[in-house]
Amino acid sequence: MKALHDYSIAEAGALLRDGSITSMALTEHALARIKTIDPLINSFITVAGESALADAADADASFARGIDRGPMQGIPHALKDIFDTAGIRTTCHSRLRIDNIPQDDSAVAARFRAQGAVLLGKLATHEFALGGPSFDLPFPPARNPWNPDHIPGGSSSGSAAAVAAGLVRMAMGSDTGGSIRGPAAFCGTVGLKPTYGRVSRRGVFPLSYSLDHCGPLAWTVEDSAIAMQVIAGFDPCDPGSVDLPVPDFRSKLNRGVEGLRLGLPRHWFVKADGVSPEVVRALDDAAQTLARLGATVEEIELPNYELYNACGRVIMASEAFAIHENDFQTRPLDYGLYTYLKMTPGAFVTAADFVQALRLRRELALAVNAQLKDFDALITASTLLPAAKFADLDPHRPPNLPVQAMPFNVTGHPAMSIPIGFSASGLPLSMQIVGRAFDEPTVLGIGATFEAARNTHPHRPSFGVAGTA
Amino acid sequence: MPDDIADEKSHEAEFDALAKRAGLTIAQDRRSALLLGFKDLRRMTALMHQPRIAASEPASVYAILSVTRNA
Repeated sequence: MKALHDYSIAEAGALLRDGSITSMALTEHALARIKTIDPLINSFITVAGESALADAADADASFARGIDRGPMQGIPHALKDIFDTAGIRTTCHSRLRIDNIPQDDSAVAARFRAQGAVLLGKLATHEFALGGPSFDLPFPPARNPWNPDHIPGGSSSGSAAAVAAGLVRMAMGSDTGGSIRGPAAFCGTVGLKPTYGRVSRRGVFPLSYSLDHCGPLAWTVEDSAIAMQVIAGFDPCDPGSVDLPVPDFRSKLNRGVEGLRLGLPRHWFVKADGVSPEVVRALDDAAQTLARLGATVEEIELPNYELYNACGRVIMASEAFAIHENDFQTRPLDYGLYTYLKMTPGAFVTAADFVQALRLRRELALAVNAQLKDFDALITASTLLPAAKFADLDPHRPPNLPVQAMPFNVTGHPAMSIPIGFSASGLPLSMQIVGRAFDEPTVLGIGATFEAARNTHPHRPSFGVAGTA
Repeated sequence: MPDDIADEKSHEAEFDALAKRAGLTIAQDRRSALLLGFKDLRRMTALMHQPRIAASEPASVYAILSVTRNA
């Protein structure tokens, strides 16, 4: 019999509904694991133990009365600490908001609450979803569960670490230039950035209005699809939200990849500075696996990767500085050093620079669209290297993490990072799957097929306490 | 004065002017690291300034369907 934390949302949901387990048991087990394991990885900023147990009791009472609000009922989860939660502190991992207790839930938190999900707490992030991993903030940085000497990536660092460690099955993150997909890749979880406009950003502290996306990090592709079913949908209070029908995100999980055409912009990562040969080998192996399963994989050309990266970074710097302008003028030293150094250059972007970046953005989006006329999806790298060691970071200069995710923040296409194996040093390796706008089901379907074929989750990090509670 | 020194001084003068215009007071111990960030930004903004077609204009970016449609 599996330990409780090893049951997926789908599996735990079935057991809750046939009465084999209770939400209270799942929640108590999760809180016990957090107490034992989290001191090693610092993934939680706030553990909402008391309210979580109350949520669990409510969920169990609902099941007993035959009330079923949806697949997350009774399931423990957690949120990156930039998602507003009514009555629960939301800090953005920053001393600037250390006492911030929102009155209202973010749209995503409200959707989970309405389903009867159990909120375990709030998760570590890079400060304001940008600056980290840092030791000059009010909370320590999250660490990689596979080896706590290594970074978990960011900015959804706590979300990825908590999922990989088996503290939660699913945690919400945000992604402005890879902040879901990067940590998912470094920690060996699934991380989905949906299409821009698919999931409401209302009540999520912004980093860059036109690049921010909210999405799930989960242990399995199916659990990602389940989370999407809860959080997707039009929100008139989010100016970027798009009023389109919400698909069945599980509809293609068992479809396979037979007959699909997959484009591979291999030049992006093979020619990148510093790419690890074992990353290239793992990606080539993954492409061959998909080909053996029946997909046609062809190398394609896209505009130079650096154009996408630069376009996104110019826009992000400008929008982020505009959001923080007043605090940078009046209390700049309250920010962590990395945040300060990454955000300040936004003050130096001219109006002409910004407009030219927006013009380029359209061309870059259309270049991806053009390829997706001929291909059902694209596959490419998520990261160029396994996770770095904390000790290798320069404390005086923010790291430029080797994550190749920014193109799809610029274009808005759905993109998902999934595990594809491990490095020789025992750290996760990953692949990114990119779909047509609003076609998350195809992305999830390809991921689920690969996951089933390669059995990418044979074990969890152990910490020497694998049998905990 | 060699060109690279003149360029460096020009960069620093531009940096100081833009910081002042933005209302920022730059701590001396952070200035050199910020200057590196400024130069990296300049490298990236240079990539933005290339000829574009007429249809590449900002209005499209704020209508998500116009960017994501298969046009």
